[in-house]
Amino acid sequence: MTTAHRIPPHATVRPTSLREAHEALRDTHGAEQVVRFRGGGTADWGAPGTAADVLVDTRGMDRPLAHNPSDMTVAVQAGMSLRTLQDLLEPAGQWLAIDPARARRGATVGGLLATADAGPRRLAHGTLRDLVIGTTVVLPDATVARSGGHVIKNVAGYDLAKLFHGSFGTLGLIAEVVFRLHPRPRASATVRVDADVASATRHALALMAAPLEPTAVEWDGGALLVRFDGTPGGTEAQAAEAVRLLGNVGADAQRLTEDAAEEAWQGIDARIDDIDAAAVLRAGTLPGRLPEVSAALTEAAEASGVRADLVSSVCAGVHTARVHPADPAAVRAFVTSWRVAIIALNGTVTLRRRAAEVDRDLDCWGPPPAAVTVLRHVKNQFDPDNRCNPGRFAPWF
Amino acid sequence: MLSAELIREFTDAVGAQAVLTDRAAVRTYECDGLTGTRVVPALVVLPETTEQVAAAVRICARVGLPYVARGAGTGLSGGAVPVADGVVIGLARMRRILDVDVPNQRMVVEPGVTNADMSRAVAAHGLYYAPDPSSQTVCTIGGNIAENSGGAHCLKYGFTTNHVLTLEVVLPDGQIVTVGGDSTEVTGYDLRGAIIGSEGTLGIVTKATVRLLRKPETVRTLVADFPTLEQAGAAVGGLIEEGIIPAAVEILDRLAIEACEAAVHAGYSLDTAAALVVEIDGVAVECGEQFDQVERICRTNGTTKIHIAADEEERARIWQGRKAAFAAVGRISPDYIVQDGVVPRTRLAEVLVRIAELAGAEGLRVANVFHAGDGNLHPLVLYSADAGEAERAEQVSRKIAELCVEFGGSLTGEHGVGLDKACSMPKMFGEDDLAVMSRLRTAFDPAGLCNPGKVLPTPRLCGERPGPYRPHPLEAAGLIERV
Repeated sequence: MTTAHRIPPHATVRPTSLREAHEALRDTHGAEQVVRFRGGGTADWGAPGTAADVLVDTRGMDRPLAHNPSDMTVAVQAGMSLRTLQDLLEPAGQWLAIDPARARRGATVGGLLATADAGPRRLAHGTLRDLVIGTTVVLPDATVARSGGHVIKNVAGYDLAKLFHGSFGTLGLIAEVVFRLHPRPRASATVRVDADVASATRHALALMAAPLEPTAVEWDGGALLVRFDGTPGGTEAQAAEAVRLLGNVGADAQRLTEDAAEEAWQGIDARIDDIDAAAVLRAGTLPGRLPEVSAALTEAAEASGVRADLVSSVCAGVHTARVHPADPAAVRAFVTSWRVAIIALNGTVTLRRRAAEVDRDLDCWGPPPAAVTVLRHVKNQFDPDNRCNPGRFAPWF
Repeated sequence: MLSAELIREFTDAVGAQAVLTDRAAVRTYECDGLTGTRVVPALVVLPETTEQVAAAVRICARVGLPYVARGAGTGLSGGAVPVADGVVIGLARMRRILDVDVPNQRMVVEPGVTNADMSRAVAAHGLYYAPDPSSQTVCTIGGNIAENSGGAHCLKYGFTTNHVLTLEVVLPDGQIVTVGGDSTEVTGYDLRGAIIGSEGTLGIVTKATVRLLRKPETVRTLVADFPTLEQAGAAVGGLIEEGIIPAAVEILDRLAIEACEAAVHAGYSLDTAAALVVEIDGVAVECGEQFDQVERICRTNGTTKIHIAADEEERARIWQGRKAAFAAVGRISPDYIVQDGVVPRTRLAEVLVRIAELAGAEGLRVANVFHAGDGNLHPLVLYSADAGEAERAEQVSRKIAELCVEFGGSLTGEHGVGLDKACSMPKMFGEDDLAVMSRLRTAFDPAGLCNPGKVLPTPRLCGERPGPYRPHPLEAAGLIERV
């Protein structure tokens, strides 16, 4: 048996403009059809949802709308891939300050916003919710709504972009997005230190307490990587200080060469975005909880009979668990049991990619959050007929 | 007037000492920082716990009584103006710091804690809370959350929404929920993001967990004088081009400088057309490199004098001057209106010319203080009520905000829409945009009791059709007044 989301929809439409997106949703609304959205197709996360009548493929909406380097803003159609956007911004010495692992597979900016994804440098720049300054969305009833604007600072009206962050296509289509940009760092330096979970946590908290400004701190189970971005002199000095600071507690930290650093960070991405994994889960906790998160992973893996490992953005308290190929029932047992442990730590868990057969009989989201009634009310206001990616948040709504 | 029975319900819920009904006492709550708009509420409750807030909200929900949450009442857009015959839920008594987690750099606070007290409480640990609105010594975190407050340092450090991780909220049905999470990784729609900046219309925040930052290793501040505002603006452009994100970058024009100096003697030059304040912070080496660049860029753009703060005291004085600017204007004008609009940074020069023209046509003066890095303007329209200039000043001020929209900007960068700009919202958003925002509001507050009349234009407030500002019907009826 295949799971619902892998049943192909009857029809695919590929709008190239806001108008065409509006027309597509007007048609599906008129025909009372169930609709789903697809960007780069790099993240079929959350619950599988029910089969759709129509798939709206956003990759035709891949054009830049306005780049104002001096205002540090860019407006693009949401189907543009993040990679394309970064290439577009590079000549101006700017970038959208986000580095999610799946960008390498062509993830679109709209898809990244809808799935609330972010990479290691969220430590310095936050997630897309912190970088979006305006959106144009098309609701399931074809209403086109704008919020925010083209300026970095703006508190006029409700911030609908935030609501669509992590909405997994259940509120409507993200058609156009305006982002604030950052200067592309002129230099980057990475320090690496071997660390078990206890020392990784200790080192990370020590870095947080020190007068350093790392832009990423990742632990891959065996080593801690610390990244600094900025001016050549600044990154040099910070890397040296980090090596000294870690040396003071007896750790043999080393600054990596540019090539070694590049390889190390790609290794992190490959772990987080492992397309051969049986399941990938993303959890969030307080930074200092890493030892408990890691212990829970070992325990859940042993109890379920799977092999699993962890990559953590330690200072941000964001953890990605990867389960190696195993019997689907064992993978399901792991998902459930690790999630119970994380929730007991007051954390959250999102089930990301997984093998198709793992979905069967799996509660993808676990116990609902306290505000689930509000989530339902919001869904009901935006999509009263439940025709927009229904079941993606099952069993919550 | 509320019935004695209903008043008793409130006193049962929150205690007799926490309920004000006496006319003189409730009048204290008739306005916020938008002092021209005054509405006397029927009753004020001053709860001390989340449960008491929820109990008060449940009474309001049951009998259909509108209510408005209030922090310190420093908001400048009338977001905390009461509803006539409604309830004010004042959160000033909920001012405990509940937890400080130094290693994880988190703090849990009640809504009535002032912004500055949060930083003060963790200063000994080398930590601080980043958003720093000018009113930070008085304004509360609850109000900051409602308004998504920024401050002078938000170009680099972001706004309240980037620093508040969880919220405990009393929803309009009286339910208590927590939104957000211990990390930025959460599941479901970002309700925290929707609530922050919703101006108290989606619920009442009764507890918040905020992220703290470690104080930067080095902070360096300079004031550069320029013969024209354009040159000061061009210097800011130069910073951006070289990839420098200053911790803060502010411009004051001649009138604003004059006012600041009259008030606090901060050391600004009185003989210059524009003062540019640039602050760079971070690790020492980088800070030093960038500060040299800043100096060079200022010189390239024709600065006539650079004053570098020699120590913390001088730095504090520069900021004291800047942050006192609004109040200081009282020294040079009997009355003034603080405006808050945003334009794309690159259009600052053009818009300043237009603002001067607008004011000049009405025979009024405008002092300008602005966050130059993000194009957030704070024109201060100076007038004399005694000379009968109030209405003209009000019009000029409103036109300035709407002008910002014409320039591709926003009606408000940090003060909020509130009551003041609700009727201007159709200048910035289309009917469908506003209708969708209203759907969000309905999802939280179907009965429309939670701070009604704020943010979104209503026919009752703005006339039959949302459109340009008209006198408030209550104003026309003599029920409220705009001074």
